[in-house]
Amino acid sequence: MTINDVSTPHLVPDDGDAELTGALRALYAAPESADYWSALERRIVDRIVRGDSLDSWWTVPTQWVRVGLIAAGFALIVAGSLFLRSRAEQRQMAYDAVLGTPAGGPTIAIRDAQTERQATLNYINGR
Amino acid sequence: MTAIALRPVSVTLPGRIRRYVTTPDRPDDEKALVLSAQRGELEAFSELVRRHQRRAYAVARAIVTTHEDAEDAVQDAFLHAYRALHRFLPDQAFGAWLHRIVANASLDITRRRKVRDADELPETIASPFRDPAESDELRMRLSDALARLPERQRAVIVLHDVEGFKHSEIGKLLGIPEGTARSDLHYARSALRRLLQQLRSPQ
Repeated sequence: MTINDVSTPHLVPDDGDAELTGALRALYAAPESADYWSALERRIVDRIVRGDSLDSWWTVPTQWVRVGLIAAGFALIVAGSLFLRSRAEQRQMAYDAVLGTPAGGPTIAIRDAQTERQATLNYINGR
Repeated sequence: MTAIALRPVSVTLPGRIRRYVTTPDRPDDEKALVLSAQRGELEAFSELVRRHQRRAYAVARAIVTTHEDAEDAVQDAFLHAYRALHRFLPDQAFGAWLHRIVANASLDITRRRKVRDADELPETIASPFRDPAESDELRMRLSDALARLPERQRAVIVLHDVEGFKHSEIGKLLGIPEGTARSDLHYARSALRRLLQQLRSPQ
């Protein structure tokens, strides 16, 4: 169960329990030794002086953002190259359709007007 | 501008860090420390660490399950605070700001720990380092009972009953509404009483 999995129930007044509170305080009491606190302070300051990196809730999202940006950039490049390739193919097909005859495609005989006229004259003369 | 009541008296820490003798009762004193720390004086920040580390530890200890994690959370939180100090408004309460950072660091450690230790569930909450023997029976029972509480309820009852935070403060620390903190406290107490009662009963 996570820290936010508990729903909000109705409120009932509760004044606590002296024995329970006393036991909790004993269990969770902070260290009392002055040396302990001096050492902790020194460790904190040392980390600041060293410029230690932090691996937690501020840097992890930054790392994920970095990874996300790299992935997005890569995806953009791939998508761009696919788009350009597809566009080039479409353009080639359009040229082929207008100017050329693709190999293996249907052959269309185009007779010019001159040839047709001559054929007609030949037919009439022949009769 | 208010006079700054700080006086460097000795060199005890690495680099150019000096100790400040401060007047603890003066509210301006802390503001002066914050302003000095914002100007880049590490010794002033060191004094802030000295003043706030116990309370910061208490906040962390209420959220994480071990003394070691609480220590890590406190260190991480102070590092975050140092780096974000330029964004802090000196007229605000430094402690309240710091405690929110500590709570976030603690919750972050809890989340990371959960991912790391997903396959091994602890049977009890680790005891504070000062009493590793855990000889006291009530304390043992309480540890068992606390381990069975939802994380948030445990954090709320410790922050309220042990550290004396108000419901509204707990709400801000844990990112939950004040009413939720209030009801969590009630449920945590009831659950602990019930669990302790069960543990007291002969098996």
